[in-house]
Amino acid sequence: MIALKHIFLTSFLAWVFLLPFSVSAQIGNYLGDESDLYAATKQMNQFFRRFNHEEDKLGNKFDPSSKEFRNNSDRKGYINILFDGQNKAIPQNVKSDFVNQVTNPAKPTFLEFHGGNWFAEVTTRFVYEGRERDLTLFMKLQEEKVGSKWVISNVFFAPFSKAMGKDTQDPSKFLHPLSHELEFMNLRKIFDEPQELKEVKNYVEANHKTDYISLFLYEVARNTLQFRTVTNVKFHFFQVDNWYLEVSRFNRGGYNNGWLISNLARLTPDNKDVLLNYIYSNGN
Amino acid sequence: MKNINKTLFSFLFIFAFMAVDSSTFAQTNADLSPTRKRAIDSLALEKVKDLSRYISIIGNKSTQYSEAMRVIDRAMELFSDGAEMGVSSTSSKAIRYYGVRKYFDRLMALNYDQVEIDWFNIQYISDLEKQPDGRYVGVITIFQRFQGKNADGLVQYSDVTKKDITVYVERKKTIIAGREIGFWDVMLGDVRVSETRRN
Repeated sequence: MIALKHIFLTSFLAWVFLLPFSVSAQIGNYLGDESDLYAATKQMNQFFRRFNHEEDKLGNKFDPSSKEFRNNSDRKGYINILFDGQNKAIPQNVKSDFVNQVTNPAKPTFLEFHGGNWFAEVTTRFVYEGRERDLTLFMKLQEEKVGSKWVISNVFFAPFSKAMGKDTQDPSKFLHPLSHELEFMNLRKIFDEPQELKEVKNYVEANHKTDYISLFLYEVARNTLQFRTVTNVKFHFFQVDNWYLEVSRFNRGGYNNGWLISNLARLTPDNKDVLLNYIYSNGN
Repeated sequence: MKNINKTLFSFLFIFAFMAVDSSTFAQTNADLSPTRKRAIDSLALEKVKDLSRYISIIGNKSTQYSEAMRVIDRAMELFSDGAEMGVSSTSSKAIRYYGVRKYFDRLMALNYDQVEIDWFNIQYISDLEKQPDGRYVGVITIFQRFQGKNADGLVQYSDVTKKDITVYVERKKTIIAGREIGFWDVMLGDVRVSETRRN
């Protein structure tokens, strides 16, 4: 009886699991010529898979135990189609050096979703002081005890930057070391400066860094910043030794569209910080 | 009769899914095996295809109002609470937000004599990622062509949109004949609708 039940269940399951695929062909009229849609890198997930050679040209995943999975020689072709073909600012020899490094048989480099060292730059629009302004949120994937989530790791907002200025101090401005004996009555001089000369940052501890996330949270809490929408997203990768990648979405005809490498630069320990500061200050 | 068949099919499908699951995947919160992920991908894709079908029916001008409302109700059952449609066009990248029901209502009320909604035979399914509440999340991408025509059948408006559909996968339990059976439930979430440029 149990065996009969088993046979019945097996046949039934085979029927049930096959059926959805026959049903799926009945949605309505399918349109032809979707070759450009196949070619497009439709999700960032697909960008990772293509970069790592984890799927075939139709988007079918390779089994991790198959010889195609992360096949290094086939990757070269895949990675080359992941560049924005219309961007002539990246010299071919730089692209080739990059591709050769990441596909080096002795030490191939793959992009890892949970590998850190990459983040999103999200251009948003908020209403601030009565008008819509662009505000950039930098987001990173944070690992949790269970799963992961995107979190805000930095903020760029032009009015904040203008108000705060650079994180440098004027050495001629200070509170003298015996101010305490006067119960800091000289604080008044700092705050009584005319507004345009008021630079209280000269009186904070050395190496203080402006915390733009706190400014952002404060303005949101006061309801002076009100979210409207998202207008653009791109990604910055620092996962490949000595290289920086920018990935943007290209919405255009042809086969070179979707999520593509929009920028590529060689990195040194010195210029990495310069580049990060450049990104975090929206190029200012 | 069609509805009864559909309901029966859905029940049998879910039950079969539960039965397989209880025998091969008894533990809760276990990481998904590749086989299980593929089965969930199929189930998720079915929900997305249901949604595609419903959108075609809702947008079709020959669909009677009462039938369209019934289909909207069915479509709403696919979605988790609070799901939104985020729509942008090639002329404006800014996302406009609509509740799912409002999106369907707008689709039904479009001011064309004829509406044709067709789909490209391509779907892209992301990996499933675990989120902090223990549920899994994935995104399925599909492409739709919309054509609004006048009474003479002339196309007045046409677009191709990419629909990135959030899929939540959650481990649930139910009691059948006194036996606790675990199963994976799939719900749709936010949908990003972006107009695409083609040639």
